[in-house]
Amino acid sequence: MKTSTFPTIPRRLLLTLPAVLFLLAFFILPLVDNGLRSIVQADGNGITFARYVQLLTDQFYLTSIAQTIALSAAVTVICVLIGYPVAYYLVRHAGRWSGLIIFLLIAPLLTSIIMRTYGWQVLFARRGFINTLLVQDLGLLDTPLRVLDTPGLVVAAFVHVLVPFMVLSIAAVLQGIDRRLEESAQLLGAGRLRTFFEVTLPLSIDGIGTGSILVFMVANGSFVTLVLLGGGLKTLPLLIFQQFNTTRDFGMASTMSTVLLVVALVCLFLQLRLVRRGGEA
Amino acid sequence: MSFFRRLDLGRAILTAFVVAFFVFMTLPIGIVVVASFTDASFVAFPISGWSLRWFRRIFEYQPYLDSIAVSLQIAFGATALSCLIGIPAAIALARSPSAWASAVMTYLLSPLSMPMIVIGFAALFFLSRVGVGVSFTALLIAHTTVCLPYIVRTVAATYRGTARSYEEAAALLGANPLQVFWHVILPLIRPGIVAGSLFSFLVSFDNLPISYFFGQPGTLTLPVVMLSYMEHQFDPSIAALSTLQLLLAIVGLVIVDRLYGIDKMTMGD
Repeated sequence: MKTSTFPTIPRRLLLTLPAVLFLLAFFILPLVDNGLRSIVQADGNGITFARYVQLLTDQFYLTSIAQTIALSAAVTVICVLIGYPVAYYLVRHAGRWSGLIIFLLIAPLLTSIIMRTYGWQVLFARRGFINTLLVQDLGLLDTPLRVLDTPGLVVAAFVHVLVPFMVLSIAAVLQGIDRRLEESAQLLGAGRLRTFFEVTLPLSIDGIGTGSILVFMVANGSFVTLVLLGGGLKTLPLLIFQQFNTTRDFGMASTMSTVLLVVALVCLFLQLRLVRRGGEA
Repeated sequence: MSFFRRLDLGRAILTAFVVAFFVFMTLPIGIVVVASFTDASFVAFPISGWSLRWFRRIFEYQPYLDSIAVSLQIAFGATALSCLIGIPAAIALARSPSAWASAVMTYLLSPLSMPMIVIGFAALFFLSRVGVGVSFTALLIAHTTVCLPYIVRTVAATYRGTARSYEEAAALLGANPLQVFWHVILPLIRPGIVAGSLFSFLVSFDNLPISYFFGQPGTLTLPVVMLSYMEHQFDPSIAALSTLQLLLAIVGLVIVDRLYGIDKMTMGD
């Protein structure tokens, strides 16, 4: 125990320093540089906020911002609605199946984003699996469903990738709930539904919060799914991608990146507050 | 005794819902695996016949092979670099109760929370400005920023779970800090390093939003090549490649699971 107090602080600093400096140089500085690019005038002299004004007043960009938020919000809500029952089942009823359920939840995370989007295309193409099944095999429909290139499919694809995070976040909190609280409620005469809505659900609200922030945050920055599945949505990440590719308006792309970054920082802040509150409780 | 309770309606509905959920989760993935074995030159159902021709196509199409080589090098390189700087930091911070250590930890994990497209876009311009340009090195650096958090997080979680007494015993017996690290800490945190490296490797190998911005001959990674291939063609070689990739990821996961038990690590924090 001789090596306590005095030498530990410098040693700790020394061990942390390479990673800290690496991220400073190649993560923080590029983001700052990017922020500066959004406010430097096109000719390189002087500072302008014109791009931000444009972003927040131009109908084109406002629609894009609205679509970005609407898409992420819709995906988040659907993830909660779908993810909660699954998390509940995992914690309360799965028993020996829980290993399999966790594997099935993690498995999609092992697939590439290309594979997942390709899968949706193969499922819903005109001669894809679903349409062949419905039209030819079962004869339920006369004409193939038109699902590709609709916002609905984009939402489904987002939910598919992100719902495992929601399930795991909620399951982690459900696991920690004292079952006796629910039993007491039932002993006092509450029905099962009432016990759920008045005891279990309020107690698991932090899990829903953590999961929602995570899902919202990731959904907000995704663009590959939109590039491949279309759907007519023009979210901010997609516009950044297009502006880099075709219009080459880097100033505007930096402005949109910075807005996305600020949204991500707000989410991160909320996440930390939730985690901290969870830690104290 | 609980046989009759098991048959209740609410439980049955919930079970049906969970089953439907997993159909939804596995269908888009399973269908690609099925489609990869078709003998047709485009994907259509019902599958007309089975063959391995699209798996052979992978090895005949040079851009696939080149980009697989680039992706492997980047994924190995970024993981190794992340281990080199991430493991010491994780060990230094994991057990410290101070607010400052937890702030530094948050900082090291923060790339996980930032949109990848922003990281890629910003890194491209910045690295070009400092002279690294669009190069293999630039891509390696950009990938390392997003791989590092996975190493730090898993190693810190594993180290937090080990007993401090082993190190104290070694120190009391006269081992110097380096010896304690090498002979005591390292073997204890090896599961965390292996699991973190697997995640980091998979994250890098599958990364598209960052790699996309570094699209030059010599820095084209597999996902970038697959994306541009998909924009022009719909042939099943994409399915075959995806199936192969999934198989490798599952093999990796099973190996790590057999060696150390993956659920301990993923549910650890």
